Amino acid sequence: MTAQDQRGTAPATAAASAAAAAAAAAASTPASAPATLRARWTRQLTRDKSDTLLLLLAALLVLAPHFAHLPLWISAAAGATLLWRATLTLRGKRLPPLWLLLPVSLLAMAGVYHSFHTLLGRDAGVAMLALLLAFKLLEMHARRDLFVVVFLSFFLLLTNFFYSQSIPTGAEMVLTIVVLLTAQLTFQYTGAVPPLRRRLAAAARIVAYSAPLALLLFFGFPRIQGPLWGMPGDAHSGHTGMSDTMAPGTMSSLARSDEVAFRVRFIDPEPPQEQLYWRGIVLGDYDGRTWHRIGPQPRARGTPPATVGITVSGKPVRHEVTVEPSNQRWLFALEMTDPGLALPGYALRNSTELELSTNEPIAARLRYEASAYPEFRIQADADPAQMQPWLQLPAGFNPRTLALARQMRRPGAAASALAVLQMFHGGPYAYTLDPPLAGRDTVDDFLFNSKAGFCEHYAGAFVVLMRAMGVPARVVTGYQGGELNPVDGYVTVRQSDAHAWGEVWIAGHGWQRYDPTAAVAPERVRHNLARALPQQSPFGIARLGELINFENDATSWLAQLRFRINAVNNGWNQWILDYNPDRQRSFLEELSSAYANWRTAAGALAIAALLMLARTLRARSGRAGDPADAAYAAFCRQQARHGVVRAAGEGPHSYAVRLRAMAASEEKKAAMTQFLTLYGALKYGRAAPGARAATLRALTTLLRDTR
Amino acid sequence: MLNRLRPWVRNKIDNSLFRLRDQDPGEVLLTMRRVFIVPTRAGLSFTALLLLMLIGAINYNLGLGYVLTFFTGACAVVDMYLTAKNLASLRLAPGRAAPVFAGEAAQFELQLNNRTTHDRYAVWVDFHGPAAPRHVTDVAAGAGALVLLSTPTARRGWLRAPRVRLLTRFPLGLFRAWSYWQPDLAVLVYPYPEPDAPPLPLSGAASEDGHGQVGLDNFAGIRNYQAGDPMRHLAWRQIARHDPALGGQLVTKHFEGGAVAELLLDYAELPRHLDEELKLSRMTQWVLEAERRALPYTFRLGGDALGPALGDAHRAACLRALALHGQERAA
Repeated sequence: MTAQDQRGTAPATAAASAAAAAAAAAASTPASAPATLRARWTRQLTRDKSDTLLLLLAALLVLAPHFAHLPLWISAAAGATLLWRATLTLRGKRLPPLWLLLPVSLLAMAGVYHSFHTLLGRDAGVAMLALLLAFKLLEMHARRDLFVVVFLSFFLLLTNFFYSQSIPTGAEMVLTIVVLLTAQLTFQYTGAVPPLRRRLAAAARIVAYSAPLALLLFFGFPRIQGPLWGMPGDAHSGHTGMSDTMAPGTMSSLARSDEVAFRVRFIDPEPPQEQLYWRGIVLGDYDGRTWHRIGPQPRARGTPPATVGITVSGKPVRHEVTVEPSNQRWLFALEMTDPGLALPGYALRNSTELELSTNEPIAARLRYEASAYPEFRIQADADPAQMQPWLQLPAGFNPRTLALARQMRRPGAAASALAVLQMFHGGPYAYTLDPPLAGRDTVDDFLFNSKAGFCEHYAGAFVVLMRAMGVPARVVTGYQGGELNPVDGYVTVRQSDAHAWGEVWIAGHGWQRYDPTAAVAPERVRHNLARALPQQSPFGIARLGELINFENDATSWLAQLRFRINAVNNGWNQWILDYNPDRQRSFLEELSSAYANWRTAAGALAIAALLMLARTLRARSGRAGDPADAAYAAFCRQQARHGVVRAAGEGPHSYAVRLRAMAASEEKKAAMTQFLTLYGALKYGRAAPGARAATLRALTTLLRDTR
Repeated sequence: MLNRLRPWVRNKIDNSLFRLRDQDPGEVLLTMRRVFIVPTRAGLSFTALLLLMLIGAINYNLGLGYVLTFFTGACAVVDMYLTAKNLASLRLAPGRAAPVFAGEAAQFELQLNNRTTHDRYAVWVDFHGPAAPRHVTDVAAGAGALVLLSTPTARRGWLRAPRVRLLTRFPLGLFRAWSYWQPDLAVLVYPYPEPDAPPLPLSGAASEDGHGQVGLDNFAGIRNYQAGDPMRHLAWRQIARHDPALGGQLVTKHFEGGAVAELLLDYAELPRHLDEELKLSRMTQWVLEAERRALPYTFRLGGDALGPALGDAHRAACLRALALHGQERAA
């Protein structure tokens, strides 16, 4: 025994242990000036105080991310409460009495109700929890209260993910877990408390040890697709996305958003960029300013539902789409997607205009596989009389445009469309995100005055012109293009890729896509919006603009970095945030097909055998020198299994005496005695070289009987 | 039938599941097999919390929520392992146990040795009983800790150390690991000394040669007072004289030892109608009294005859004989 800790007659008092801890801290710090200060600081804080401050730090870490979205007064109240608690702790004052806390918390509840107009919603619930945690810190009397605070903190940590699930949030979560566990751990010490650094290391070790199991659970635990019950109305909010109307400015406001709309991974080779039209909503009802959808046509009773004749040809392009939650029903599908696709958790709806939508708003990231046919014909042999709705124009709007249409009219729909595109291409038309405001006749203003607009201006004007020429036409909104990330091969489609184009019905050919924007700014379709827009010079310095925009050059290191960050983000989304039952099934299937074979099994067996061998070898190492010693060590291990452990300094003789007291059969006892006698004689007596081998054999034989 | 079955089942469970042994000889290594573990109340609440978090993660489709839930759940599992490990591989050795008188608390010294490389914290140790353990200790890596446990005594004779329970909730308090240990340790409980025992039988016993009365009458001079000298032996006359040669101190009459050697404490001489335990109790008190007064005494109990002698060894031998009277000598 090197050092005997003579404690135990009575539980050590907190003061004594705190003094010991402080002394240890003082001893461990070097004698430089800041260290001395720290030592003094440590010495001044009793164990209780420093423990409570640690808990306060953990609570602050939990609450801090919530301050970003909580109403200001709640953040202030929670922060002030923590500060109050810290002051009380440092000064050694008593906690406020219940009669003070109760009205204050009721007041806070009333405040939450005032701010959110409910107590049940998600945000209101989070606010209540945050306040509850803050107030609970003021009402801590027993050990149980500590657990309540820690558990509440864990739950509040979870609620933070309503608002952010980014990688930094994940990192912050791990940090917070470590601090929370440290606080929980700290309260478990009864004697000396190791310095904070070692306690943090211990908590970090717990987290690190738990990682393999956590990963296994994360990927292997059977997943259920939520939600389990109807959620409060504010459960999902704050998403930007495509609206189902189009007016001047709709698209350009979207185009400023860098938010991801969806990501696509092509299983088959990716089609060229200018063919990536993600069809969304088809708009046909124009009121002079805004384009609306034409709803389902009322049909007479008994007539069969309108059928849409589609013929596709060529090889389908299979791809996997991951839609970001938009809180809308529209799906944006690569033209022309086979509508027979499986949407996990949703029912798919398909309109006669070939729009895809879901039965419920897409509240969570949604992943599905689809195949699209780049060559297709829609309603090629439809009756022209059915096309009447796609010819309507509001009366009394855009007279100059109508006049222009009469003048431009060509025989044949295709020729007319081409004429309009040529006008855009050859004329002084500009493509800009900031078109001048239009007056009452928006198309007239665009075509004759400003001659500058964004895709919605071009698509709208194009369709108005076509209709004025008597050609059925409509506006299709959706996305165009997308950015291929060479790191992980995903194509990211952002809100800034929002686009509007036209469709013209040509008898015998059906609906054909015409994109007037491509005529004005081909770069937009071939590359992306940033390429197509005229470069602006920040602060009037042209070179600076190049510097800032050089990320458009896919080879620059900044672009490479951006691609890498995006790939990490996408991996995070695909594997952490959007690991749903579907993904789990395919992942586990992949795993089992890759590893469930005899080679893996043999490998695992071999590894296990090697580990066992290493363990046995390590157990025997050091004793392998003398065979007699090895037999003795084996004997001691054998007896230790029965509960009689040879003490470190115990010789064979005294060990034998103790072994005789053991509960065992007489035969075994005799064998044990004989073994130890033989061993003693062999080891310490003088034996002839020939007898030695025989004795060793006898020892080995006896080992069997002493078991 | 059922009532007769229950102790049998209990015994079986104790023996097989909890590995309760009558005795664990020598130093005992707490193997994992001997460490039992259940969640504490906080651990159960933690399970409820995990469930709640899982439901939240499912309902709101929170990918990070799953990560958090599984991470904290795995932390609890790690805590379970660490809690068991906080107890396992400890080596327990019985220490010393000093004899006590019945009615006093017997103190058992238990040694907790940690020959592993990691420190053990907050190990609660106490005798197995319904109450929560009262003693807690840390055992640093490569060191040991000494725990002193006490238990009340009621009867004379050998008292075996009750079964010891070691318990720990370290590190996170979500699980409680415990282990039982029956230390191979017994304490000798002497009979309770009779509080109002009659005075020492100084004059009641005859000397061996049968020559008249012996006592303390053979005055042999005076000497300095020593603590423990009976009050009535004080030499009042000399004290009153304030002899400067003696420093004006208390002096005691000194009697010749020959007569004192005749002090005989004989069990057989005690009144027959007394209860056996009372007689032993009285003998105990007399032994203590004789020792206190430094009177060499002869001790007779049954076939044993000790002395005449004086001192710790004699006293211990006499008290031991009293404690074990009528009982088996072996523990």
